[in-house]
Formats: sequence, C-alpha cells, structure tokens
Amino acid sequence: MNFNFTEEQLQFKNTVKSFLSDECSPDSIRDGWEAKKPFNHDRWNKIANLGVLSSNLPEKDGGFGIDQVALSLMIEEMGYAALPEPVAEQIFLINDLMPLLPDSIKEEIKNTYQTGSNFISVAHPLSPNPLFLNDAAGLLLFNEDTYQFALTEDIDFISLVSNDPSRELSKINSIQKSVSSSEEFEKINSAVAARGALMTGCLLIGLAQKMLDLSSLYALDRTQFGKPIGSFQAIKHMLADVAVKIEFARPTIFRAAHSLLENNPKSALHCAHAKYMSAKAAELACKNSIQAHGAMGYTWEMDLHIFMRKAWSLMACWGNEDKQQDIIYKTLTSSEEELGVLYTF
Amino acid sequence: MKINFTEEQNLFREEVRSWLEVNVPKKPLLSLDTKEGFEQHREWEKTLNSGNWSMVTWPKEYGGRGLDLIRWLIFEEEYYRAEAPTRVNQNGVFLLGPTLMEFGTHEQKSKFLNAMATGDHIWSQGWSEPGAGSDMAAIRTTAVLEGDHYKINGQKTWSSRAAYADWTFGLFRTDLQSERHRGLSFILVSLDTPGVTVRPIPQLDGEPGFAEIYFDDVIVSRENLLGEDGEGWKIAMATAGFERGLMLRSPARFQQTAAKLLKLYYKNKDHCSPMLQSKVVEAWAESESYALSIYHTASKILAGGSIGSESSLGKIFWSELDHMMHQTALKILGASAELVDSSEHDAAQWIKGFMFSYGGPIYAGTNEIQKNIIAERLLGLPK
Repeated sequence: MNFNFTEEQLQFKNTVKSFLSDECSPDSIRDGWEAKKPFNHDRWNKIANLGVLSSNLPEKDGGFGIDQVALSLMIEEMGYAALPEPVAEQIFLINDLMPLLPDSIKEEIKNTYQTGSNFISVAHPLSPNPLFLNDAAGLLLFNEDTYQFALTEDIDFISLVSNDPSRELSKINSIQKSVSSSEEFEKINSAVAARGALMTGCLLIGLAQKMLDLSSLYALDRTQFGKPIGSFQAIKHMLADVAVKIEFARPTIFRAAHSLLENNPKSALHCAHAKYMSAKAAELACKNSIQAHGAMGYTWEMDLHIFMRKAWSLMACWGNEDKQQDIIYKTLTSSEEELGVLYTF
Repeated sequence: MKINFTEEQNLFREEVRSWLEVNVPKKPLLSLDTKEGFEQHREWEKTLNSGNWSMVTWPKEYGGRGLDLIRWLIFEEEYYRAEAPTRVNQNGVFLLGPTLMEFGTHEQKSKFLNAMATGDHIWSQGWSEPGAGSDMAAIRTTAVLEGDHYKINGQKTWSSRAAYADWTFGLFRTDLQSERHRGLSFILVSLDTPGVTVRPIPQLDGEPGFAEIYFDDVIVSRENLLGEDGEGWKIAMATAGFERGLMLRSPARFQQTAAKLLKLYYKNKDHCSPMLQSKVVEAWAESESYALSIYHTASKILAGGSIGSESSLGKIFWSELDHMMHQTALKILGASAELVDSSEHDAAQWIKGFMFSYGGPIYAGTNEIQKNIIAERLLGLPK
C-alpha cells in the first residue's frame, strides 16, 4: 500500500504546469474567444512537441508509455489553466482507449491520426456534441449499441454554441461513410464512459483549485471597512468550505486512475465516484468564488468566469452528478452479499 | 503509487479478524458513560492488552507491536467490522499517547504508556475552562512551581470522560505574568489527588460523558510536567498534530455507518423518496473519500512527510458527514425516529448516534475555528 506519486509522475505534472502557466494565460484564452477561434494551433503544436499528446502511447509508437495516474495529474493542470484545446480528450478518450478497440477501427484511427497535426474527436450519448469537429480529422462515435469511426469529411454537421466560448461544439446530422462495430460493445462503452467521467473529474478538480486560488488572492487584495475582506470570517469560512471539498475529492481521482491502470473490476464505480466528488467540489467552488468576488465576480472583465464556464460545462457532460450517483447506487446494490461492504481496497 | 494491500498486510488483517471474532463480547457493553459500563469498558481495554492489541503502532517496550500506520488502519477496519466496544481510553491511546511518544521522557513513557495500555489509567482531557472554550489561550487555571512540585488552582470544564477517569492531562498557566498562549505548561494530574473535585455534567443523552474539574491547592510533582515549563501551547498544538487527527477519527467508523445506512435504506426503500437514495449515495461516496484521503496521508507520513493544519480539513469533513448520515437514517426510519424504547433497538441506536453526531462539529475545536485555521494557514488569508 503506497499512495505516493513517483518522481516520474510528478515530473509530468510539473512540466505541464509550467508550460501552461507560460502558454495558456487567461489573456490568450480571451484572444481565442474574440477571434472566434478558441482552438490555438500554435499552442497545440507546442503541446505535441512537448510530448504530451503521445505521452501515454507505447514506446514503440513514439510515446513515453506513462500510466493513468500520471495522466490524471497532468489533466488536473489542464483544468487549472482552463486549456481550450482538447488535449485531455485526445490522450484519455482516444490514446488510452485504443488498445481496447477492434483492429478494424484501430487501423482507421491510426491511419488518420497524426500526433500534433490533427486529432480525433469523440461523441457519446453522455457527451453527444463533439468538440472542435472543424479541427478534427475524424470522429469516434458511440451509439446505443454500436460504435463507429468516420472521417470528418464524411460527416454532415452543424455548429452549436456553448456557454463556454472555449468549447466549439457540433451537432451531427448524418454520416455518409464510416467503419462501424459492435464487438465487445458493453466493455468498450463502459470503458469510454468511465474515462470520460474521470477525465472531466480531473479537469474539474484543477478548475476548482484555480477558482479557490483566484478567490484567496482577491480576498487579500480587496479592502472594505479598512481591511482586506479575507480577514472577515464570512469570507474565510466560504473559502475554507471549498478547500475541504477539494481535499476530499482529489484522492478519489488518483484511486480511479489507479483502478484503470490495474484493470480493477470496480473501475467504473471508482471513476463515477471521482466525477461525483469533483463535480460537487467544483460546484461549490463556483458558487463561493463568485460570492467572494462580489459584483466583480459577475463581470466579463474578471477572469473568474473563464474557469466557471468551463466547470459548468464539464459538470454537465460525461455524466453529471445525478448520473454518477445512479451508477454508484446500482453498483453498491447489485449484489446482496456485497451490500454495505466496508472496505476501500 | 500502488494502492493494494501486500500479502503480509492481508495476513495481518486475518490475524486481527480471528482474534476479534473470539474476543469481542457477544453482548454489547453498557454505556461507557455509566459507572458500571465504564468498568466494563476498562475490562475490555485489559482484554485488548492481553492480546497485545492496545495500540499496534507503539513500540513493543510500551505495550505496542511497533507496526506502521497502514497496519493501524487495517486494525481499525477490522475493529469496526467486528463492532467491538468503543475505546474508553481514546483520550489516552489516541491523544496523550502520541504526545508522550514525542515529548515524554523515558520515565514518563514507561510509567504512563504501559498503564494506559493495560487500562489501569483511563485518561480525561483538561483543556477548556469556563472562560476559555474556542479561545483556549485564555486559560486561567494556574500551576505555581514550589520547589519540586506545582500547586494548581482553578477550574477545567467539558472534560471528556472525567466523570469516571483516573487521570487528566491539560494546559495550566505556570507563568502568572504571562498572557495568551505564552507561559502555559502541559501537566498530567491524577484525579485522586487531594483538592481535586470532579462534578459530572449530564450530556444531551442524559449521561455524564463530561465533567467539571475543580483544583483547590492541588499538589502535583514536577515529574508530571510534559516537555519544558512554558512549552505547553506548542505541545498541545503541534504534538503529533497529523497523527492525532488521523488516529482519533479513523475512516472505518464512518464507513461502517455508511454501510449500515445503505442497508437500512435498502430494507426500507419502498417507502422512501429518491432524495434519500441520493443522501445514501453521498454517505458512501464521502466516507469512501475520507478513507482514501487518510490512506493518502498515511502514505505521505510513512515516506517521511508531515501534516499540519491539514488535519483541520479532515475534522470538518468527518464531523459534517457523520451528522448527515445520522440525519438521513432518521428520515428513513420515518415515525420510528423518536423511539428509544428497548423494543426498537435499531431506531434507538441511530437516535443515540444522531445526538452524538451533534458533538462532532463542536469538540476538538469547533468547525468554525477549524475554518479560520484553514483560511489563515492554508489559504494565506489575514488574521
């Protein structure tokens, strides 16, 4: 039993953190919004050159073969910076899923996807409107009982506007040509749903932490009644409540990642748990952060909403709190003998 | 990261489980807040010690097994699974024990830890005073050094377990000119000492769980001073800070409650609304998160790290969780949720736990005080 991170896992996290603090400032995100081009290809290429996009590919395919625990540490940082590009999606929903896919689809994706120059988008009943389809080379689409891969040029779609201007979404009308399969559908469908839940969970923890940090700084800076508002207990307690939620959500992320790594039969439960806890943390972080900022928090000018908007979107897709709750309840009550089992590991 | 138990850890779990299966009293003990129940619980401490299970993390020479925190968490999981009696000496084994381990002299450790392990010394806490609750630095009870002994005068209150305990530990003002947290010392006092008067205070459940302690020219040997004179605040605050928080509230207790709650809901689900199902899931999710967080913390400590103000986060989390779980249970019970009649064992247990759960956010520093600590020490907000 060792719940500590390895040096290598922390190194990946720190590399991504320092890169994003230089390259993904709130101002650069706003520039993308104003140009109506939130996907920054220059930044995407730099992230590719850093090795992040291929980090979890096997070494024989030019990757570092890093595990899901390191991925979740990195993705938390992408949440912290509110990175618009779908890096988390690419590495968690495509790269990490690849070994499970049947050869027919795997081959198609391999032929289409070139690390750094393009990416593959994903749509699923839990997240039906794929991200950045205009910039994608192809789409992996999950239906009720089949899944298929199509090149973007073979898809008829229209744009949808998200409340988060960093998320360019599409609605699929029809697909002219695709490779479709239903092989091991249950298994693959549950694997992508679990990864979607964990991925959004990691991003939400990063976002919640960012909102808490912004609020703490604001509470130190803003003075009223002759002192910083952060010296008032009303503000302190609101922010402390957020810190508590984050603290107890974070380990659920790493446990879920570890379960994926070990092919734990309960990994779907663990991923649902991680999303449930982090969505709740992010929800409170939004509420209490805007409150701590007062009227300033309600403005377009203050950066806080860049992070809030992303959090609101991510809470909703890949299974919101309600959906995760359902998964948890069904799993816990699926067998009478295991009802109320005490142990965590 | 490798979050699985090793073969040795699993064997240890089996060893604990089989010992508890044989030794845990089949019939629940009387409440430890009654004279008779207290002595039954003292007997249980002796039984635990006979199996060498008083405190598995202590060194062997003091009655422990010299095991690490992970093994301690496993022990606790089995302990709660077996529904073994509440540790009447938790003030001793979980609070004073780690403190003595860090600040005690060899003589103090031999004398007090062994007697603690055998259940011969059951400890109470002597922190709060009528004028020093959340503001603990306002302590006024004095301990004046006269040669080789202190003379103590004043009053402590809300002293948990003091109604029947043998000893108390707490902070006393040894420098009469001092103010606030300076000039305080950490002293151990036998409640048999002449001049000590204990007045039990009936709690919400009607039983005397805590007490007032009056000190009237009480003479205590200087040997009972822990650490240096005037260092009391530092010892009280910093002592094994993390370990204390972690040990006092191991996750197994809350996981056991969550497990029972899930069963209670499942049995009654046909006449409950989905809102209660949502609360039951929250209970499982949060108790599981608490356990994960504690294993995470234990791993950090084993790797040589230390935890400070972070224990305030945990205190808020488990105390609110405990209350929420009991509140939910009462909602599931419907109109039975007022019955403490002996014919309604389940309802009575949940109601008892429900009342007890109101204490969590208050004792060991109210949750509001913990939030101040989090804001000031972890988030960097000004005093």
